[in-house]
Order: sequence, then structure tokens, then C-alpha cells
Amino acid sequence: MTANTTEDNREAKVQVRHLTKYFGKLHVLDDISFDIKKGEFVCVVGPTGCGKTTFLNLLTKIYEPTSGELRIDGELADPKKHNLAFVFQEPSAYPWLTVEENLRFGLKIKRLPKKTIDERVEKIVRLLGLEKFRDSYPSDLSASTEQRVIIGRAFAMEPDLLLMDEPYAQMDIKLRFYLEDEVLRLWREIGTTVVFITHNIEEAVYLSEKVLILSNKPTTVKEELQNTLPYPRDITSGDFIDLRKHITDQIKWW
Amino acid sequence: MRKEEKAAVEEVKKITALDAAYKILSCLSILLLFGLWYGVSALYPHLFPSPYIAWQRFLTLLEKPIMRVSFPMHIAASLKRVVIALLFAWGLGISFGVMIGWNKKMDAFFGSIFAFIRPIPPIAWIPLITICFGISEFSKVLIVFIGAVMPVVVNTHDGLVKVQKLYLDVGEVFHANKRQMLTEIAIPAAYPSIFAGIRTSTSTAWMVVLAAEMLGANKGVGFLVVRGMEGNDLPLVLVAMITIGLIGALLAIVTSMLERRLCPWDNKK
Repeated sequence: MTANTTEDNREAKVQVRHLTKYFGKLHVLDDISFDIKKGEFVCVVGPTGCGKTTFLNLLTKIYEPTSGELRIDGELADPKKHNLAFVFQEPSAYPWLTVEENLRFGLKIKRLPKKTIDERVEKIVRLLGLEKFRDSYPSDLSASTEQRVIIGRAFAMEPDLLLMDEPYAQMDIKLRFYLEDEVLRLWREIGTTVVFITHNIEEAVYLSEKVLILSNKPTTVKEELQNTLPYPRDITSGDFIDLRKHITDQIKWW
Repeated sequence: MRKEEKAAVEEVKKITALDAAYKILSCLSILLLFGLWYGVSALYPHLFPSPYIAWQRFLTLLEKPIMRVSFPMHIAASLKRVVIALLFAWGLGISFGVMIGWNKKMDAFFGSIFAFIRPIPPIAWIPLITICFGISEFSKVLIVFIGAVMPVVVNTHDGLVKVQKLYLDVGEVFHANKRQMLTEIAIPAAYPSIFAGIRTSTSTAWMVVLAAEMLGANKGVGFLVVRGMEGNDLPLVLVAMITIGLIGALLAIVTSMLERRLCPWDNKK
């Protein structure tokens, strides 16, 4: 698996260049540049109120940047052409659809052929072990199972870029560990490029191949850190703790 | 975790002493009502017929038609008016509610007219409708329609306006087009609210049809009430009243069954 090698030959999937955003006079993002390789798992951490939401909304093209650009596969990002998926922090499964119908939802909206939809949904159901919940409604599920459905729904799109906005912020620690392993499994199996926003530094170190540490406003990338610890990671190992400490210091040092 | 939940659900399904107590209590209230009726009729036998006399009247009613219409056909006449009016009220009410709930311009345009018409009770339309259409079958259906369509429009409109932003955001992220946003997200999200409108419209329609029949009809349950009053036949009035109550309750049960069927996710037990 390429994730474990130090040499990374994957081509750049997403290129962010000099991304800057003003809201009126308020300078929110300042000259942000970085690359995300194809199939890379990137975690973004930063102090609270660092313009994280703005950053995400620029990546999903909900906002237009004041200057700078976002390219996917070398082309300017276009939500109509590129497939950008997003996982919200709040549980956002549709209550009127069963688990399976929720997984199908995005694919149906995209009007993919039925065969493709069936295949992809089956794969996700299998990977997440949701077989017995297939016909349940979200209101019958626990919060963590619902969140798994939502994450499955996003992965089923096989997006060019999957943005996840603190998807596990509301989970307790035990479920979090479990769900973190699950998201890694989906990522490996489907090969999606992931940007994962989190406040939890341990989570960032556990998941990421690369960590982007954001600064306070006006936000810029303070450090771009390659995380080459081999998977599966041991949160008690010395290397892990060193990396975690380093990131914590970087965030605190403003 | 999930297994425990399931076990808990099964636990609840077993009939407990408390469940039995609730059943007994609801039967008790009906018994009390009959007791009260019996008591009053015993105190004022000349004014108020006893349950037994009402029962006798009911049996005669089954044998002897009134205005050459049998008792079941009186019920059928009322129900037919209600069903026709309800079908139109649901079809047009939901369409109109969706239109003004989804489109702000439509809401601005129709909202004020609607706010003005809504508080007028359906009964108040009777003179106007009688002038225009006479005491016809159509007039009665129209009055019921007016009463039934209001709650459907109001609830559908509310349901669409109050669709959670998160649901629409998710649609946005999946690049749903305007039509998909409406048919795949907003309308399903509004189903529970639309159904609340349907439930209210059903009970309203049943009430309004009786009022409409009391003002001029030659068949229907409402007509039986008037007939009993005019002929000083109080047992007939009571039989008609009980029929009205039972059918109203039955209609409520049918709608809630329909709701459970069409909105299976909305079963809050």
C-alpha cells in the first residue's frame, strides 16, 4: 500500500493555490497553498474559530475565493463536473428513507444506471456491515450507526474529493475509535481522496497521511506535515505521542 | 447495543398490568357515559329517552326506511359526500400548499388572500353557495370541500416552509437540481406535516357534511338529526348522534392506519 511508503509517487489530485478570502474588510483566509495527492487522507487541524468553515466552503465551491484557485485533476474545480462530497457534522440521514435508500440517494440524484447504483450500494453495505439495518429507518438507529450511514452515503458517490467536517465530534471515545478504523477501511477500499477536519489532534495523527495545521485568522497553512507512521497506528507508541505533541504545540503557539 | 434495544422493544410488547389498567380505564369512561345517560333518562323519562328506547328506535330504523332511504344508505350518502370532497381537497390542497410553501413569490401573492379566506367558517359559505348552486348535491360537496381544504393547505405550506436547512444542504452537496430538491427532499420531509393536515381535514369534513345536511337535504346522517328534531323523535336524534360519533372515530382510525402505511418512519410510539 502506498500509504506506508516514504516515497509517494501519486499524482496531485487537488491543487490549492494562493487561496484568499475577504468578507468585506474581514480577512479570513490568507494565501493558502497546498496539494493533495490522489487518494490521500489529509487531516486539517487548527485553533477554534480559525476560519475552518470558510475554508471548507471554499473547497466545496459554496463560496468563491476573493483570489486564488482550486484545481482538481489540473482543471479549475467545477461542482458540475467534479464530484465533491461532503459529510456534515450533524447527523444528516434522511428520516423518510431507509438505510439502503439513504445510501442510494446521491447516486439516484446523479441518475447513475441502476446496475452501478446496486453495485456501489452493495459494496458499502458490505464494508460497513449494515446488512441487518438495510430496511431500518434512521430513527431506529443509534447516533453512531446513523453517522456510519451518512459516511457510507458519501463514499458511495466515489467522489473526486470527500470533505468531512468533524464527523465524529459528537461521538464518545469508544465509538470514535471504532468509526475511525471504519473510515480508514472505506478509504483504502474505495481509494477516495479525503480531507478530514477535526479538533481532535489524536484523531488527526491516527488517521492522516498528511496534516495541515492552520493558523489563527487570517488563516494560513502554518505547517504541512507528512505523517508516515505505519498503519494501523498505535496511539501509545512514542512516535505517535511525539507527533501529537508537536501538532499540539504548533496550534498553541499563536 | 442494537440487540439490547430490540430486547427492550420486545419487553414492552408484553402486556403489563399497567397496560391492562389503561384498557380498563378507557372502557370505564364509556360505561360511565352510559350510566349518566341512563340516570338522566330515569330522572326525566318524558324528556329524555333511555338507552333502551334508543336501541329499540335503532332496530326500527333498520327495518323502516326514512324518506324511502334505508339507514345504511343514509350513512353512505354522507360518506359519499365526504369522500368526494376529501379527494378533491387533498389533491388540490396539497398541490396548492406545495406551491405556496416552496415558491416565495406565490406565497406573497396568495398568502394574503388565503389568510383572509381561511378564518371564514365553512358554514358561513352556505348562503352564498345556495344562491349560486341551489340546494344541490354539488353545493354540499363544495361546502365540505371548503372546510376540508383549509387544513390541508395550511399544514402542507407549513411543512414545506419548515424543512430543515440541513436536508436541503445535503441535497445541494449532491447537486440535486431544483426539481429534485422539491420532489426528493422537501416534499418527503413535509410528509408528517401534510398528514397532520389530512387528519384534520377528515374530521373537519365529517363535521361539515353533517352541518350542511342539517340545513337542507333529503338523505344523510345530518338529515336524520333534523328529521328527529322536527318529528319530536328524540330517540332518532340520539341514534343519529351515536352513529356520527362512531363513524367519526372510525374515520380517524382509517386515516391513522393510512398514515402509518405511508409514513412508516414517523411512528413515534
